[in-house]
Amino acid sequence: MSAGQIHDLGYKRYVGSRRSLGTRWTVIMRHQVAGAWKTWWRFKIWLIAGSLATAVSAGILYFLSGKMFRLFTAGNGQMVHIADGILPFSTAVYCKIGFIVSLTISAAVIAGDVQSGAFTFYFARSLRPRDYVIGKIVGLSIVLSLIMLGGPLVLAGVRLGLAEGQDDLIALLPTLAKALAVGVLGTLIYAVVPLGFSALVTTRTYALAIWAAYYMLIGSLAQGLGFITHPAVAALDLSTALGAVARDLFDVRLKGAADFEIPAGIALGSILVHIAAAIGVMLWRVRSAQQRGVGGAS
Amino acid sequence: MTALIELDQLGKRYGGITALDRVTAVIDGSVIGLLGPNGAGKSTLLKALLGLIPYDGGARVLGLDCAAQGGEIRDRVGYMPEQEALLTGMSAVELCTYAGELSGLPRNEAMQRAHAALYYAGLEEKRYQPIDGYSTGMKQRVKLAQALVHDPEILFLDEPTNGLDPRSREEMLDLIAELPVRRNCAIVLSTHLLPDVERVCDHAVIMHHGALRFSGTIDELRGARGRDSELYVELKADAPRLAEALARAGAGCQLVSPVLVLVDLPAHATTQLVFQTARDAGLQIRELGVRRESVEAAFLRVLGGALPGPAPGPAGAPR
Repeated sequence: MSAGQIHDLGYKRYVGSRRSLGTRWTVIMRHQVAGAWKTWWRFKIWLIAGSLATAVSAGILYFLSGKMFRLFTAGNGQMVHIADGILPFSTAVYCKIGFIVSLTISAAVIAGDVQSGAFTFYFARSLRPRDYVIGKIVGLSIVLSLIMLGGPLVLAGVRLGLAEGQDDLIALLPTLAKALAVGVLGTLIYAVVPLGFSALVTTRTYALAIWAAYYMLIGSLAQGLGFITHPAVAALDLSTALGAVARDLFDVRLKGAADFEIPAGIALGSILVHIAAAIGVMLWRVRSAQQRGVGGAS
Repeated sequence: MTALIELDQLGKRYGGITALDRVTAVIDGSVIGLLGPNGAGKSTLLKALLGLIPYDGGARVLGLDCAAQGGEIRDRVGYMPEQEALLTGMSAVELCTYAGELSGLPRNEAMQRAHAALYYAGLEEKRYQPIDGYSTGMKQRVKLAQALVHDPEILFLDEPTNGLDPRSREEMLDLIAELPVRRNCAIVLSTHLLPDVERVCDHAVIMHHGALRFSGTIDELRGARGRDSELYVELKADAPRLAEALARAGAGCQLVSPVLVLVDLPAHATTQLVFQTARDAGLQIRELGVRRESVEAAFLRVLGGALPGPAPGPAGAPR
């Protein structure tokens, strides 16, 4: 008797309840988080880098909180304390880390699944395209949020801790909501938009290349054109757009450069359009893969 | 009792191409071979049965409507694809556990059944190794295990022996043949390899240009010509003498070897003629049986291709 047959002796058909269709996306979400957590170089090392950036920003916030920014002013032209200005400017650092993490865990996900034939694996089961898309988005968002949302929230917490009294603390409470808003937008940018790019092509390498090219080349080009033509053009650069939204939320402006500041509404619009387009591309790719993926050659 | 698969005027068109042409059938059995050349409509039929594509007409699997209850069907059906369809960067246990959870099993149950399915597929200790380093044969076994993990009542196997060496192929066919007994699940085996069908299937469905050409048991397929008057006769010795004697009695005879002769009985004659002739000639018959076509010959006949005669000798006899 083989080991398999021995193992079979206790075999009974499963008759228990099954997870409902509507919650199966959570399995994909958990798988995505576990996959990102598995190796050092894909996520953990960048999480450490993000934590270091947060620690340095928190240190600056603590030790230099009373100092004034020289380069930036509030909307009314008044000088800004470092304590109030460090948070919106820290987004630039998180964006750099977020971009690297997007390359290591988000930008090749769907192309990789197309390439490996994983859609056949998924859609031979009771999964709907939207379950797949939601699972991937939420899973990657959880991972990215540890950097993009966690950092700003910690800094907002430190800022609240530096409040000079109860009134000051209450006045500073909106800082938490603003940090949350910036963090959520940043998370979605680096989780969802690269996923959309990965749905455009069917090869992992190309997916990585087009996301990197769009983010770095088109982004830089948009920034340059924004200076020459209209600041709104620069909103095509996602990190610049997030910075503009953050500065507007925290009421911080580049001193003497108001003409180059992207209107916050346009920056937010650009981010939301990118996210919506990415979700649209993902659904299109996954729906078509669902119908093509099962069956193989006849 | 509910049939495994019921098709009622099932049709599917892709633009101007008819992939399924009003197929009507009730398909039952424990191991069913789904046969047909490229473009016959097998893949489209599988997609329709899994509830993945819209179609005209009706299709039911395990009594469930494929159009409206695709999700429930896929929970109760396993699918082993022909092409590479494994996730990278995982061990076989992780993959099968994930597959079980995606099919709705609780995590602990999925993990237990993943181990059991991998044992069944013969991966045993190798189940902890990353799939990326597996051989083709091992990947085929993982594909079988991931299709089994959620305890399906029907298993769709698409070319399960593709790319396997002869030994692995035999082992895979053994696993498939044992599934109905050990796992109480029916098999639909889509394949080009007719010897595989002959080896493990008890039923066959043959499709051609989107139309159903045959649905029934393998014996019906091979005996569909109804020629029970075509016999093979194996003797201890001296088959030529029997052939001559039978020919004199009006039978058509073809000598295959000194001990084997193929006989076409004349109208209204029975096997008694052979026994009587042999006795009269003082010859000893070792084996006598009705000649059956090989599945391959029957398949070609059903498709309207070449119509080879019955396979000679005991090799073509019923098993």
